[in-house]
Amino acid sequence: MEKDEATKQGDTPKALGTPKTPPPEESPGNVNNPIENQKEDSEEKEKGQDISGTEEEDSCPVEPVEIPEDPHPSLDKLCEDIERCISSLPRPSEKDEKEAENNGAKDDKDDEKAVDVKDDMGETNIETPREEKDDENKEEGIEDDEKDLVPDELLKLVDKFLNWVDGICGEGRGRWGKVPEDDTAFLDAVDLMAKMRESLLSVSCMGLKFEERHGGLINRLSSIQHRATAYLEEEFRILLEESKTCTQPLDHHHTNTSGGGDHHNNSSKDNSTNKGKNDPESLPESESGGENQGLFEFPGYSQEVVSNLNKIAKQMISGGYQFECCEVYLISRRHAFDENLHKLGLEKHSIDDIQKMHWEAVEREIVAWVKAFKQCAGVYFSGERKLAEWVFSDHPSMSACLYSNLSRGVVKQLLNFAEAIAMSKRSAEKLFKTLDMYEALKEVVPKMDELFPEECVDELKTETTTVRGRLGEAAICIFCDLENSIKAETGRNPVPGGAVHPLTRYTMNYLRYACEYKDTLELVFKEHSKIERADSTSRAPNRDEYDASDTSLGGGNGSDESPFSVQLMRVMDLLDSNLEAKSKLYKDVALSSIFMMNNGRYILQKIKGSPEINACMGDTWCRRRSSELRQYHKNYQRETWSRLLSILTHEGLSSHGKVMKPVLKERFKSFNAMFDEIHKTQSTWVVSDEQLQSELRVSISAVVIPAYRSFLGRFAQVFDAGRQTEKYVKFQPEDIETYIDELFDGNPNSSIFKKKP
Amino acid sequence: MVTDNQGSFLNRISIRRNQVVSMEGNHDQELEDLEHFQKHVADRFLDLLTPPEDYPSDPFLSIAWIRKLLDTFLCCEAEFKAVVLMGRDPTQISKPPLDRLVPEFLDRVVKALDICNAVSSGVESVRHFQKLAEVAVLALEQRPIGDGQVRRAKKALNSLVTAMAIEDKEGQTTKATERTWSFGRRTGVSAPNKDRAAGQFRALSWGMSKGWSAAKQIQAMSTNLVAPKGNETTTLAQPVYIMSTIILYVMWILVTAVPCQERTGLMTHFPVQRNLVWAQPLIGLQDKIAEEWKKKEKKCSAGLLEEMQKMEKLGQSLIEFADSFQFPAEPERLEEVAGQVAELAETCRRMEEGLVPLQLQIRELFHRAVRSRTEVLEVLDQGGKASPPMI
Repeated sequence: MEKDEATKQGDTPKALGTPKTPPPEESPGNVNNPIENQKEDSEEKEKGQDISGTEEEDSCPVEPVEIPEDPHPSLDKLCEDIERCISSLPRPSEKDEKEAENNGAKDDKDDEKAVDVKDDMGETNIETPREEKDDENKEEGIEDDEKDLVPDELLKLVDKFLNWVDGICGEGRGRWGKVPEDDTAFLDAVDLMAKMRESLLSVSCMGLKFEERHGGLINRLSSIQHRATAYLEEEFRILLEESKTCTQPLDHHHTNTSGGGDHHNNSSKDNSTNKGKNDPESLPESESGGENQGLFEFPGYSQEVVSNLNKIAKQMISGGYQFECCEVYLISRRHAFDENLHKLGLEKHSIDDIQKMHWEAVEREIVAWVKAFKQCAGVYFSGERKLAEWVFSDHPSMSACLYSNLSRGVVKQLLNFAEAIAMSKRSAEKLFKTLDMYEALKEVVPKMDELFPEECVDELKTETTTVRGRLGEAAICIFCDLENSIKAETGRNPVPGGAVHPLTRYTMNYLRYACEYKDTLELVFKEHSKIERADSTSRAPNRDEYDASDTSLGGGNGSDESPFSVQLMRVMDLLDSNLEAKSKLYKDVALSSIFMMNNGRYILQKIKGSPEINACMGDTWCRRRSSELRQYHKNYQRETWSRLLSILTHEGLSSHGKVMKPVLKERFKSFNAMFDEIHKTQSTWVVSDEQLQSELRVSISAVVIPAYRSFLGRFAQVFDAGRQTEKYVKFQPEDIETYIDELFDGNPNSSIFKKKP
Repeated sequence: MVTDNQGSFLNRISIRRNQVVSMEGNHDQELEDLEHFQKHVADRFLDLLTPPEDYPSDPFLSIAWIRKLLDTFLCCEAEFKAVVLMGRDPTQISKPPLDRLVPEFLDRVVKALDICNAVSSGVESVRHFQKLAEVAVLALEQRPIGDGQVRRAKKALNSLVTAMAIEDKEGQTTKATERTWSFGRRTGVSAPNKDRAAGQFRALSWGMSKGWSAAKQIQAMSTNLVAPKGNETTTLAQPVYIMSTIILYVMWILVTAVPCQERTGLMTHFPVQRNLVWAQPLIGLQDKIAEEWKKKEKKCSAGLLEEMQKMEKLGQSLIEFADSFQFPAEPERLEEVAGQVAELAETCRRMEEGLVPLQLQIRELFHRAVRSRTEVLEVLDQGGKASPPMI
């Protein structure tokens, strides 16, 4: 191609319509010398008008076709002349006897041919068949055989024409779309060449002699035809790769398409009814009209570009270059798609790498993946599909093939990542990201039928479903692994103060988070857990004991609960029994009750705080849980306070209606000591739930204070005012209340008496 | 954990396990199984190395041959699983040295998965080679044959030959990072013409992640591959070693056969003991292929796949024809070319017939490997739990 540039005779490149000197090697010697015909083409800069002008002038007067010695050959004119000549190529009726002798046997074939030509040329050949003024004419190269079938004039025209095409091809790339008229002219020219070749070949069937004589022409034609198609191919590729300029959708296109809006609206209406048939130019518009604003964001070609692509593709395919056309298209689009994925932050990783990556890094990749996957399913795939359909509007099977090839590659690549994740070592923190991916896949499967063409939809569905299954199984494994984490928590140090155990916090927060994925988890368990249970012997030994507890639970919750709920229950029960075991670590039974209350309350609060878990666990469970908590409360109350209250009974203090002072003194002393002890111990205990804390304090006050007040009211006056009272009555009821309010704060308090001077 | 169709398989295992465990002297049975396994491996690979004479065989390293290789692999894999998983006490697998050997084996499996993907993408490239060759056939079958047809064919063939060379060199040079389908480079678009010519070939397949190297992957698979000694030869260490070796060889053969990302320094020799009966046919294959590979490395062709080599040779020859072509063509020369074109067309046909099934088979191998890995992991898990390390 560079060579061609060099041969230009100093002309600056002009618009497409102007011919350039062809490269020398392109013109076989036995045809007319091309150089002659184009020299001063440089004048026609605004060739649009110029051409039509010259055409009018030139074409009208010529009745019998003369070799136009027009210094400004216009393509239209050339084409017209050529078509006319071709149409008047030998037909039996017009042939003189000599020809008939030569080719007698071919007569019928000739007839057919004539018909063919008629079809090809449309109206042009209605004009009176021309007796070619042909032959014997001057001009180089051509044998001076009178019986020549091809008029010399035609040869010259063809030659001129080929020069023209050749010149265009030599003008460099990336010009497509700059001057639409030129493009159309070029496409027409390529089309014409195909017809010419066809005609010439069929004429050549009439005799070896023809081929001998005009082989050179046919050869030259084929050569330039190839060159022109290669040029088209290159333009096609450049358009595909370099014209994705329009990032803003629609509006831009509408304004850009020039022409009155009304007209376009009309045409778009028309087109929507019979799309794909005619006028690809308005296809994209009709598709995008109004309702779908995002349509043009991807793949981002303007309407003109799409229409140009369509025209070139059409020409390439009709010229037998569909292989080349498809390859260019596929490779360009694949690349563009890849680039888009990259822009979305998707990196390629081998499965092996993902197994070795840090989870934080993998997590980021997953986020990008989910985004990219949704984008593909929502925008990219349909965009690609539409693009292929527009560009190859006349060849639906071709567009389906290209699109499925492309999308198959993308989907497989995306699924491969999911596969790698499903395969990675399981651990609790991976559950949520795994579920994110699962959800993305789940959402796309039902859409696949409309996203992908028939030829690949089954394959892609199967692959997607397989990977989804693996992710689901991984999620179940991870979730069920919570059991193992709970079982593995066997620390023997009680949490100080009977506070909420870290295991409880961890488990409940995990579950709460997990339950935000409740619907997905339900589905996952429903769809992927049966097999797991059937074949997994791994859990069998442990499972039996839970199964027993399951059934007991199941009774409370109705029979048709989801496997996920069952698993959730299993986890809760496991947590319970673990906590129960931990509560035994406390020597103080009251503290053990506080521990159970704390943890129980925490669990209940978490469950109530999340509608999803709440729904899973059910009201019955919660009610039962609450009553259990009340039981612990009672236990605590009994353990701690009933002994104290027994001190405050009025019984045993009076004898014969008289208070026994020494006994009373003892009673007060033990009350004081015991209360002090309780206060000292239990103010170090922890109840962090405010409500529970105040419930406890209120309930304690409610039993202790009235009893103490009545005890005090009944017996305080027994003591002498002053020293004796001071010695035995250490607390006023209000003090008791204050001290009770200091309980469960987790503060190490010293004895009331020491701190109280 | 296990996909649907595998449920039954594991059920079978547990059933058989129960039976076997109840039997005394199942060790003999195990030894027998192991022996059978070794013999089958030897027989199967021997068939590939020296096909039975009375049987029409596919050319060495042809698509059909590769497909047989993959079939062989799948058979061995199934039998391996039966030997290792069925009727075994899961604790066996978690005892030394298996607690080390099995994870190493699983690691090899993961690497093999990546190789499957790379090879699959290589097959995709071959599909493109086929398309280019088809263009040449299409053009050269036309009559009369003129400059246009010849140039079209030449263009396609040049693309083909260049693509093959690039596919092969991919990753070797600094430029290659631009070339691969890795994201983000793409300097070619606005670059001057020369790059653009290459631009056509950059992207024949999706490719692997940047920096991924088939040669390194094969190397990594071969590390720690040591034959069991002494007592170990009668334990599970033996089949694990055999299967590891098979995976390594099969993956290596695939890598040599089709274009594959970064094969510089690909090993051509693996330290497998020659005295092992089952290993001999494998070593035979290795020697034969290694020799081809060394020749290939000089030629820089895209792979040893028989059809591809043929295509390359015919392509070169037809390019020569195209270079010297002058219209009108001499009839004798044309006849000769017609023969080559027919041969090229036949090669394309074989690709057309074979590549898609090959692709599917690679995929099947992939899925199979994933599943087996899961199953082995499960047993490993189970074995780990059964022996109570926890207090």
